[in-house]
Amino acid sequence: MTSDDHEHQHCLEMFEKLSEYIDGELDHATCDEIEKHAKNCVACFSCMETLKRTVALCKKVEDQPIPREFSKKLKEIIQNLPKPTSP
Amino acid sequence: MTAEKNQNRKIVKDNDFDLIQAINSGQAEKFHDLVKRYEQKLYNFSLRMCRNPSDAEDMIQDTFLNVFRYLKNFRYETRFKNWLYKVAASTCIKKRRKSKFAPDKELSLDEFLPNDEAEKPDKVPEWAMLPLDKLLNEELSGIINETILALPKKFRVVIVLRDIEGFSTAETAQILNLSPSNVKVRLHRARLFLRDKLKGYFENDQ
Repeated sequence: MTSDDHEHQHCLEMFEKLSEYIDGELDHATCDEIEKHAKNCVACFSCMETLKRTVALCKKVEDQPIPREFSKKLKEIIQNLPKPTSP
Repeated sequence: MTAEKNQNRKIVKDNDFDLIQAINSGQAEKFHDLVKRYEQKLYNFSLRMCRNPSDAEDMIQDTFLNVFRYLKNFRYETRFKNWLYKVAASTCIKKRRKSKFAPDKELSLDEFLPNDEAEKPDKVPEWAMLPLDKLLNEELSGIINETILALPKKFRVVIVLRDIEGFSTAETAQILNLSPSNVKVRLHRARLFLRDKLKGYFENDQ
């Protein structure tokens, strides 16, 4: 963040909207403003890129396989359930 | 997924529509096919919400029992998957109330604001620029999962639904009975929390 008051306000405004920007949930005018600001502010650009990377990593985290024993147990429970009656 | 008007009610026909119709028309044995479709995803959702595998197993069991019990009431107003996660999230939140792990505190945006001078970077850190495949390994996956588990549950459930399960803001809001703006606020704070931990991890690594 820069110490300049005017710029700092821009930094704060951008900081609040970064997730919406990454998710494509902002209007064109706001996106343009953010991009313009990020071009001239390394701190905000860095913040944006590290947050983008955080989201991308989160989306790539792999699932664990369900334990076979538990899947088998679940099947048994389901098979032994009483047939539901209409309300 | 297609939608059609039926007696002024919107019906969502997704990939589970025929199977649910069959189960609700008396072929209860097909319920296991529905379980098979979702047990893997739900297991991981539960693990991320409960931490403990045995709690996660209880949660899945309770979720499927509730789904079995109330499937007749499912009105096809959303995708079945969304309804299933609504049941799962509600089961999970009830269970978490009894747990001592991760006290349910607030996360304020101010906590994540970079300090004016101390953290002023002159360039983007390397970890934000490297290809994802070069970055993501077992250790980092573990750190991401641990950090998500350390989030208070109301933030955790949002980041898991949005960034891991891939639901949209509107869908997440519907699943959790929240407003879309509330989902956005919680998601942003959860992501910033995770970003801070990753930043710390990579800085210590260098």
